[in-house]
Parts: sequence; C-alpha cells; structure tokens
Amino acid sequence: MRINNLSRRNFLNLVGAAGGPTAIYQTSLAMGVMPETGKPARLDLKRVDGQKKSVLVLGAGISGLTVAYELERAGYKVTVLEASKRIGGRNLTLRHGDEIDELGQKQVCEFDDDPKIYFNAGPARIPGHHRRVLQYCKTLKVPLQIKTNFSRPAYTHDTDHFGGEPVRVSKYVADARGFLSELLYKAVDKNTFDERLSGEEIEKLREFVKNYGDLKADGTYQGTIRGGIKSGGMVKPAELYEPMELQALLDSNFWRSGLASSENPDWGDPLMEITGGMDGIVKAFVSAINSNIVTNAQVQSIRNTTDGVKVEYHHRGKREQLEADWCFNSIPSHFIPAIPNNFADDYIAGLSAIDRGNFFKIGFQMKSRFWEEEGIYGGITNTSQRINQIWYPSTDIHSEKGVVLGAYAFYAQSEFFEKMTPAERLTFAADCGERVHPGYKSQIEAGVSVPWGRMNHMMGCGVRWSDEARAKYWDRLRQPEGRHYMIGDQISYHSSWQEGAFASAEFALMDMDQRERAADAATEAAR
Amino acid sequence: MRVGVLKSLMKMMMFTMLLASGHGAAGKDKSIPPEDLVYCTVCHGVNLMGNALLKAPRLSGMASWNVKYQLQSFRNRWRGVHEYDLAGLEMMPMAMSLTEKQVDDAAAFVASTRSPAPPKTIKGNVVQGKMLYQGCMACHGSEGQGNEALRGSPLAGLNDWYVKQQIENYQNDLRGISADDIYGAQMRAASKVLTDQQDILDVVSYIATLKQVTQ
Repeated sequence: MRINNLSRRNFLNLVGAAGGPTAIYQTSLAMGVMPETGKPARLDLKRVDGQKKSVLVLGAGISGLTVAYELERAGYKVTVLEASKRIGGRNLTLRHGDEIDELGQKQVCEFDDDPKIYFNAGPARIPGHHRRVLQYCKTLKVPLQIKTNFSRPAYTHDTDHFGGEPVRVSKYVADARGFLSELLYKAVDKNTFDERLSGEEIEKLREFVKNYGDLKADGTYQGTIRGGIKSGGMVKPAELYEPMELQALLDSNFWRSGLASSENPDWGDPLMEITGGMDGIVKAFVSAINSNIVTNAQVQSIRNTTDGVKVEYHHRGKREQLEADWCFNSIPSHFIPAIPNNFADDYIAGLSAIDRGNFFKIGFQMKSRFWEEEGIYGGITNTSQRINQIWYPSTDIHSEKGVVLGAYAFYAQSEFFEKMTPAERLTFAADCGERVHPGYKSQIEAGVSVPWGRMNHMMGCGVRWSDEARAKYWDRLRQPEGRHYMIGDQISYHSSWQEGAFASAEFALMDMDQRERAADAATEAAR
Repeated sequence: MRVGVLKSLMKMMMFTMLLASGHGAAGKDKSIPPEDLVYCTVCHGVNLMGNALLKAPRLSGMASWNVKYQLQSFRNRWRGVHEYDLAGLEMMPMAMSLTEKQVDDAAAFVASTRSPAPPKTIKGNVVQGKMLYQGCMACHGSEGQGNEALRGSPLAGLNDWYVKQQIENYQNDLRGISADDIYGAQMRAASKVLTDQQDILDVVSYIATLKQVTQ
C-alpha cells in the first residue's frame, strides 16, 4: 500500500494522465482531423488532352510531386521548378555520402555505405489513418513495413526523478494504472457514486478497475506482471518489481508527455515506414512522373496574368520565364513576401501570419545494436533531457549495426541545437544518450544533425497557425489567388506530416478541376 | 540575312531591357547571383529585398565597404553571438563559412542588387525623429548615406524594423560588447541616448524617409 498523502491536485493530475486519450481524441475532433481520415477522395480530374493546358509547380516536395503526377495524367503539360538541387523537400533520407545542406554548416553523411544504414531526417512515420500517403504508396508500389513507435520495454528517463535512472515504460504504465484503479476501487463505496450507480453497477465497476490496474482480490495494487519481470519466470518463479512510490510517479513528467502519445491517432501503433527509407515515395514519384522537374531553379517572381500565371526563375546562370494556365506553389510561406509578386495584400498578410516552425533531428550510426541486449526492439525512449527522445530501429533485428535517432527537438528546443556547430550538437546528444544507456557514446560511429530551420531553401518545418491567423486567413489561403494555389503541409491542419501535404494538394487540384469544368460549361452554353 | 536581322533586333531588345533595368530602376533588377551566393537570397529574398518573416534585412544596393565590414563583424564574433540575438545567431555560421574571396564577391554582389525601397512598417513622429537624428549624422551621414571612415553604416534603404531591432540590440548589450569592437562600442553608448521607446520609433520613422543613393 503505497498511496499516502495524496493531494487532490495530484489526484487530478493522475486522472489527467489516464484521461489523455479522450482529451486527445476530442482535440483531434475539434481540429477537424477525424472525419477526414476515412476514405481518401478519389481524384477524378477532367482530362484536357489536346487542349494545351499547362501547369507550373513550384517546389518538388510531396505536395508538388502529387500535383505533377496527377495533372500530367489528366493531360496537362507540367513543369516543376525546384530551388534546391534535390527532389523531395523535407522528405529526406540520409545515407553514405549525402550532403546536408545547412546554411553555413554543410555536412556530409559519414554513415557506412550500406543500404541498411540510413536515417529519415524528415518524415519517418505513417499511421494507418493517413489514407492518402498509403494510397499513393499502394498505387506506386512502394513497399511498407511496420514501425514500432510505442515500446513498453523502452524507457522513460528523467534526470530529476527515479534517481536519474531509466525506468521501463511497462513499469511506469502498470503502476500508474494500478494506483488509479486502487483509488477508484476504494472510492466506489464511499457514497461518491451513490447517486449514479446501482449496487450491481458498483460491483461491475470494481471488477473493471481490478482488471484495469491488475489489483489484488482486496482491491489493493501490489505490482503486476504487466510492469515487467525482474527475474525468473521460466524455470524459476517470476519475481516482479515492487511498485514505485506514487508520489515519485506523480512528480515525474512522463505522464505529461510520452505516456498517452501512442493513443494519439498519428502515433498509434502499428505505424508504418517505407522499406529502405522514407524517400522511397519520392523515388517512386520521380520514376512515375514524365514531366520536367527542373532542379536548381530558384523562383524570382510570380505574377497572375489575365489568363494564367507567369513565373521568372534562375537556372544555370540564366534568367528564365514560364507561363502557364495554373500555378501550384509549395514554396515555404515565409519566403513568399520576399519574392516579387502581384498578389493581393490580404493574401500576403495571410502568408505572413503563418509562424515558421523548426524541427531538429540527430541520427547516430551505432557500432552494435546494444539496445537489443536490453530487450528493446524498436520504439522510443523519452527523456527529460534536451534530446527529448531516442528511437530504436524496428527492422533488421540482430544485424550488425543500426541507426538510432539521437535527438528530436521542436521549436524553442530546436533553437538550442541550431545555435551549435554540427560537432557540438553530436557531442551534446551523445552525452544525453550516455545517461540513458551507459556506453552509448562509445557505440557511436557517425552522426548527422538536421536543423530544418536552417536548411537551404527551407528555413523551417512544422508551421504553426495561431487561432487568430486560422480564423482570419485559413479560408483565404486555401482558396486560390487568381490562378495560383498555395499548397503543402503548411496549408493544412497537419503541418509537418506528409498526409497534410497530400491533402492540401488534393484540395487544390479538386478546386482547379471544378473551375476547369465550370469554364467548359460556360463555353458550351455560349455556343 | 533574315537571321542577321533577327539577331540585331534581339540585340536591340536586350539593350532596351538593360536600359529599363538600369541603376535605380526599382524592382527591375535582372542580375543573377553567383552560384555560391544564392544562399544570401534564401533569407534576404529576391535581389536581397529583405524578408521580415525571417528577420533578414533588405541589403539591396548596400555599399560594398559596409557589406564587408558587417560580414567581418560576424566573423570577428562581434555580431551574432549573444544568446538572445536569434537572427544574428542564424546569420553567424553563414558569415563564418565564407572564404575571403567570397566576402569580396558578396560585397560586390550585394552592392549591385536593386529592389524597391522597403515598405514603411513603423509609425513615429518624423519631425521629432529628424531632430533626434541630428545626433546620428556625424557617423551615419546627413542623408543616412553612411561614413566609411567612421564605419557608420548607411541607414537609408534599410528596413525600419531592422534599424529599430539593431538600436534595441545595442541598447540591450546584444551588440557592441566585444572589447575590440571599437565602433560597435561607440554605437552601443550612442544608442542609450534614446531614452524611451517613442524616441526610437521617431528616429526610425525619420530614417525610413531618407532616400537610398546607390553607386
């Protein structure tokens, strides 16, 4: 019996921890995420063969490639202009010899030249409800595999709690449930629920919480096999862990962050990843797209004309110009005001109201798969340190080496790493890892750091829309400006997810298609 | 024959276009940055017109000596070192990565760029500002044209929000703090003459009225 001096506030905290999923579900619902996650809209674009219709796509990331792929199939002449030398945008898988084009701090990936050794520096996870990503993977025959995201044998680690020692997620979760269940079991007959529950219901509720928290027959929580086996369990009887102190659990922070994360639809197991690296979808697009994708083509101006869009760009030391009937623009919103244009003031004001985000990742090539020796096969350890997370690969089990995500930081946390040199970042993250896995540092053979807020032609990732900006400009930016559409995850409720990019492209394509059809109908009527 | 006529016609057209995009023709700059300086345009925008969203100031037409001096200030770690100077910190590694030749190239490139005068975003009392500006003239010039001998940056043509930010950076000791940054230290002391926020708004909005003269 370890529940002593439990304050009301702490109880509420605990309830909050258990209430996470519901809260998250409701938040998702309010954000308009859930109803859209059913069947993807089937794009049924009107064919325009022989009509010499043309399209300019700015940016060869996921949304731009989607538009190019769909419209060339509908008979449009498509040209894609990409400012950087690389196709894929933030979909970036790093392998041996790849360049990391950070402003002023270029790095070269020094991983082994081995197809198993790669790091997804951008998107790395696909949940089952991201129907569009999955649909394109299916259509383009891009192989997928399961990616373990939430792993009970992984750790929660807090330098200020549990003596700074990593605690298995399984133990933490089991104890949190056990304590909560015991409290509820005891509260049931204290007249608390009299008005709501009948005697029979009270009994059922007690049975429920006994199972939920794995309580003893008398309704006390004394630890559970769900928290992991300390020793034995095969030819000797299993010895279980003692429950931790309730106060220690409440003082820790994991219930605030990682505990319920797997119950968010975006992070709910089983997740998927593309076999061989997330850029498999980019490669598949590139081989499926026949249109011209021009790299090293930096846009210099974008102007709506009476019946199209005119774009100037630099390419191979020359100034070029293209005109098309439509333009789909995935250039990061924070660059647009610094590209000459003739957009309306409120359109520019809207683009300026989106907050540029920044994410940061580190990948380490490890000499051996030491985490497997600790019974960890994939999933994430959460730590209170600035690296936030350590991810373990869930594929190529028992192969010689592996790539571990050594840091994943967001927004202000990301700035902390951005200020460092690449070498300093790796050293810092190695020290953090050492506190979770003694010997971690000595396992590192090579590392890469990717600060999206400093990457060439990106300077950001994971835009944020304030409620105010959303209320004022969301509809405006979703709608076209003349014959120009802004697209990309930036124009979605799912920024920094590929599904947001796909959904945005799909929405713009359907809007354009309606306008094409309406124009046809008008021409027909005029005849 | 026909080809020849076409060619000379095209030449004439090119010439006319060049005239149209000549010095001072705001927004008509068709110059192409050297490949290794495209980086500058990522944050500072097309023709270095400035991008407030990235806190990257307009640099178009900036005197080459000042471009060099500012880059050198970053390289000397006079600028872009304080933990609160986020925009400066963003710039710093870029300046550090340049070779001496690239610094020279950047100076020439920046000086050659043209873009429309920056939009006015700060409202202050221009008349008050003009009076306050008397104290800035010695180093920054009567028309904000700058003073190379005293390393007084040209101010005409800079974004008003950027001028304000830099005054505040000096006032808050984010800039001009290194022992060997003599001119920076002078400016830091000078910035403290502007005792209230309104003074800053006034002087900044006056500076925004000064017309940039490019070479």
